Amino acid sequence: MALAQNTIIDAPFLDVNDVTLQYKTKEYLVTATYRVNFQAYQSERLILLGPSGCGKSTLLKAIGGYLRPTEGVIRLEGREIVKPGPDRGMVFQEFEQLLPWKTVLENVVFALTTSRRMPLQEAKDQAEFYLRKVNLIKFAHSYPHTLSGGMKQRVAIARCLALRSKIILMDEPFAALDALTRQKMQEELLELWSGSHFTLVFVTHSIDEAILLGTRIVLLSPHPGQVKAELNIDWDRLEDSRNQEYKELRDRIHRILFKDQIEYMI
Amino acid sequence: MRGKSLTLTELRTEYEREVVEPVSLTNQQRPLSFWEKLWDCGAVRKLLILILLAIIWQVYATRLNNPLMLPTFFDMSVALSQMFLSGELLAKIDASLRVLLLGYGGGIAVATILTILAIRSRLGTDLLETLTAMFNPLPAIALLPLALLWFGLGLPSIVFVLIHAVTWPIALNVYSGFTGVGSTLRMVGQNYGLSGLGFVGRILIPAAFPQILTGLKVGWAFAWRTLIASELVFGVNSGSGGLGWFIFEKKNQLEIASVFAGLFVVIVIGIIVENGLFKLIEDRTITRWGMKS
Repeated sequence: MALAQNTIIDAPFLDVNDVTLQYKTKEYLVTATYRVNFQAYQSERLILLGPSGCGKSTLLKAIGGYLRPTEGVIRLEGREIVKPGPDRGMVFQEFEQLLPWKTVLENVVFALTTSRRMPLQEAKDQAEFYLRKVNLIKFAHSYPHTLSGGMKQRVAIARCLALRSKIILMDEPFAALDALTRQKMQEELLELWSGSHFTLVFVTHSIDEAILLGTRIVLLSPHPGQVKAELNIDWDRLEDSRNQEYKELRDRIHRILFKDQIEYMI
Repeated sequence: MRGKSLTLTELRTEYEREVVEPVSLTNQQRPLSFWEKLWDCGAVRKLLILILLAIIWQVYATRLNNPLMLPTFFDMSVALSQMFLSGELLAKIDASLRVLLLGYGGGIAVATILTILAIRSRLGTDLLETLTAMFNPLPAIALLPLALLWFGLGLPSIVFVLIHAVTWPIALNVYSGFTGVGSTLRMVGQNYGLSGLGFVGRILIPAAFPQILTGLKVGWAFAWRTLIASELVFGVNSGSGGLGWFIFEKKNQLEIASVFAGLFVVIVIGIIVENGLFKLIEDRTITRWGMKS
């Protein structure tokens, strides 16, 4: 993107360096990712794309600070990530990420007052500003259980933007939505991005979503997750999804992701 | 044999039609009448059942004509209002509720400490699970002889037994509520930098509130039963007893209408707390939050 090219960047904003992640289930020690390397620069929209079992969500949780790498290190602005914190705003797939005992407005305000220790009035103003941005100001005083899935995810995104985190981490936020709502949310997300150019790391298993939303895609292989490729997306050249170039890119990603299986089948 | 049979498409022709105004129904949509609304109210229907029971009681007791065994509803009402007016009953209610609140509060405190230990460490969990497995099935009243031995006659013994009655159901429910809080909500809380008691107070307690409320309700019911029962047993010697002692005393004096009045008050207080106080809390919290299961 134009912005990334014009900005002089000396060090990556987010640096995931040789990261191996393991976690324990009741019976096994699972290796989710093996020596994964990638970097994200400021204002990039980095997509982690891969089939299920490639450890992309686990990787995002590690960036969020919920999980310590067994090998390697994750740095944000040069500082190692050791625990969760509001400098990395999270949006989850599950609708239950909103606190059900607080109204929409209170959910955003709570995030601000708790994490930034912002005075209440300032937090309210800021929350209203971002709720307006996602067109939910009418529902500011509703409780989450009265909202639709798409609206809940919009509140979660507004909450994240209001936090003004250094980086926003999204874990398949639109995966549980119906197709029409998902499409609308993707457009809205891009619109919000063009307003404030936040740095985004977005996890998905949909190739189309990755091409639509990303400026750069990290492709991961499954069991355990390893980086297979990194691709740049120039949406200006692709124009829309009926374009030949779009189809070629789509096929290329598909080939990279599923090469192993095809060879195996032959 | 049959002749030529039709295929389904021949049999089922297509059609389109205009919808018409339903004319045969006189009223399609109208506000419900006063009586219909009244009948929809659960409290009204339940009140009707209570009135019916009172009538059956009155009729049967009048037929029986044995005020020593079963006084009529009317006699009971008279005894009740007399005792209310003389202030005798209010003093007993006051005495009972004071003891109850002491025991209830103590039980909540012990349960809180145990649950915090349980969520802090695995050993704490084991401790809570073992203790609840041991003591939850043990009827509180069974500890009364021991309580008498340790604390003598009077308040400390009842409070001890009450704490035992309240602690386990509350601790059990609160703990299972805490462990049931989803990982997403936990991660959201941690994302805001919450940890330790702040995390417990601002994420775990509200998120587990449905179970906490259940625990408080069960604890209350246990406490109320245990209190009346233990007052019956040894209010005898402690002089200024509460409602349980009142019932026991009136029975000894053969004022059976007053015995019934005492029982009636025990029931009414139970209903007020259960359907009044707890219902109010429930409506203002978990029902409003959409967390009622």
